[in-house]
Amino acid sequence: MDEKELFVKAYKAMALSRALDRKIVMAQRQGRVGFYTPTIGQEALQIGLSMALEKEDVVYQYYRDVPFMLHRGVPPAAIIDQIMGNSSDVEKGRQMPSHYSSKQHNFMSIQSPVATNLPPATGAAYAIKYRKKNNIVVTTFGDGSSSTPDFHAAMNLAAVYELPVVFLCENNKWAISLPIEKQTKVEIWKKADAYGMKGVKVDGNDLFSMYEIAKIEIERVRKEKKPVLIEAVSYRIGPHSTSDDPNKYRTAEITDGSEKDPMTIAEKKMIEHNYLTAEEIEKIKSDAKENIEKIFDEREKLPAPGTDTLFTDVYEKSNWIIDEEKEEIL
Amino acid sequence: MSSKQLNMVQAINSTLDMLMKEDDSIILLGEDIGKDGGVFRVTEGLQAKYGAERVMDTPLVELGIVGMAIGMALAGLKPVPEIQFQDFIFTAFDQIVNQAAKMRYRSGGEYNVPMVLRTPYGGGIRGGLYHSQSGEAYFAHTAGLTVLSPSNPYDAKGLLISAMKSKDPVIFLEPKKLYRSIKSDVPDEKYSIPLGKAALVHEGNGMTFVTYGSMVPTVVNTVVKHSIDADVIDLRTIMPYDGETILNSVKKTGKLIIVHEAPRTLGMGAEISAFISERAVDYLQAPILRVCGPDIPFPYKLEEYYMPNEERILKAINRVQEFR
Ligand SMILES: Cc1ncc(C[n+]2csc(CCOP(=O)(O)OP(=O)(O)O)c2C)c(N)n1
Ligand SMILES: [Mg+2]
Repeated sequence: MDEKELFVKAYKAMALSRALDRKIVMAQRQGRVGFYTPTIGQEALQIGLSMALEKEDVVYQYYRDVPFMLHRGVPPAAIIDQIMGNSSDVEKGRQMPSHYSSKQHNFMSIQSPVATNLPPATGAAYAIKYRKKNNIVVTTFGDGSSSTPDFHAAMNLAAVYELPVVFLCENNKWAISLPIEKQTKVEIWKKADAYGMKGVKVDGNDLFSMYEIAKIEIERVRKEKKPVLIEAVSYRIGPHSTSDDPNKYRTAEITDGSEKDPMTIAEKKMIEHNYLTAEEIEKIKSDAKENIEKIFDEREKLPAPGTDTLFTDVYEKSNWIIDEEKEEIL
Repeated sequence: MSSKQLNMVQAINSTLDMLMKEDDSIILLGEDIGKDGGVFRVTEGLQAKYGAERVMDTPLVELGIVGMAIGMALAGLKPVPEIQFQDFIFTAFDQIVNQAAKMRYRSGGEYNVPMVLRTPYGGGIRGGLYHSQSGEAYFAHTAGLTVLSPSNPYDAKGLLISAMKSKDPVIFLEPKKLYRSIKSDVPDEKYSIPLGKAALVHEGNGMTFVTYGSMVPTVVNTVVKHSIDADVIDLRTIMPYDGETILNSVKKTGKLIIVHEAPRTLGMGAEISAFISERAVDYLQAPILRVCGPDIPFPYKLEEYYMPNEERILKAINRVQEFR
């Protein structure tokens, strides 16, 4: 893929993701979706990083990584299936919305307790190193998650064992209602130094800078088998979740479609580089919207998973206790 | 068939050695387990044999040890994390309960965590509040975990071999009081003890004892010494416990006493008592009794008063025998 194709693919994923995000938020307001954590504003940083990855690389992602997943080939239908918890959801409707999983695309399974995906990511990287493979592990988390013991444990372990892990901190400046200034007194990328690993800060609102840095860092991680902490500075344009009203605690810094919106920044640069024309951009956006409308309506019609899925997958083989409880309830 | 007289430390050590020799996906990780061989010497000599990459002396971070093991398991390895004392497991509780235990269910069966977490537990070594706790109920209360506790060297080997074959996370609780205090004949060859199956370690008709781990010798010794006509059931697997064996025995004897070191309230004794009340109440000829640790933190100087002993077990025996 040449640079132009690479960026056109990236922009298309951004547009698709934005269209999907708007649709789900709207559907939630209409009572058609239970809950959702919008991804608006974090498309550029996720996709900029994703552009530099290989298919075999493993991702321990968090709940706001829909753009990342779409870019790596997870179909929007699979995202919607998870949100609806329908019969086509790979997770069999067991998790609340925004907790995606896709083994086929090397995305792990998302948990609710923040940052607890980080220590397992180091274990996965240890396995890669032990087996002398060439892939790497990426793990993502928010700015608030950098305060957890799991962040500390994972950073320390990755540095001590020299593991091929990219820690991507998606600093959207807010952890629900807590601003970054009240989260930590040090810039997050600088914390890497305390563990003896490299840390970098990048403008996460700019697809082009994000890709440039991600490419250099990922190549290095792959070659040197050493971790890196990338702090991508961005902004959570939407509410924390559909249950949150940010007007209670902040005034918006960046809004949907404004100058500083990563979509606007990307579009400007796509035109500057002659990768896309303004007309092509409009077409991509309207196609994405139309496409998402169609898929959403289709997936919405799917039934809930069968009740027989309730009691499976607790263990490889069931046991008498679960069998008995199943008998009683179903 | 050759065998050796081994204590539990030796049995676990030689089993790990045997399994590691044939499977290079097995990785041990924990604090001081390598060069030092572990504070109880359970992993003695294994690092020298298999290298520091497979027997890892980790930084001091329980949630990191368990979290890392989970990632290894998800990536196709077979990790055996050690938590130096079960009392220190709590910072890793989230990784165990919310990651390892739920992984298979929450991913719709796409991901699973084959990991055997070993940890010494229980009192009897004068370890005070933080080197004596019995936390099996915390783990038994979590769907997705299998919880084991051997009571002798023979079972330790057979259960560990079965645990290592499991595709799901296993909490392997080693009664540290019994690490070196008893020996049994342990065959050199590989054998396994099925998970979920209890052992009837003493047979009789007058009453049923259900116990496990460190309390098994205490119960058996009491029963033998006083010629009590009793079934003694060693659970071996705490979760999922062997309901059938317990039920059959209670139907025969009509009397049930549960003995464990862990605090009484909401311990395994409460579960087993409820289980029997639900399905054999008409067979019972006496109240179900529990002989357990009291609901206080584990004491240091007066440890003997905490651990269930012959005297307290005899009291329970008298009570069920005299009940009418
Ligand atoms: C351990 C834990 N505590 C609290 C929560 C509730 N919670 C969910 S998201 C969140 C804020 C996370 O902020 P950040 O890490 O910055 O990620 P963002 O949501 O901003 O992307 C909180 C407190 C949780 N999920 N996990
Ligand atoms: Mg945030």
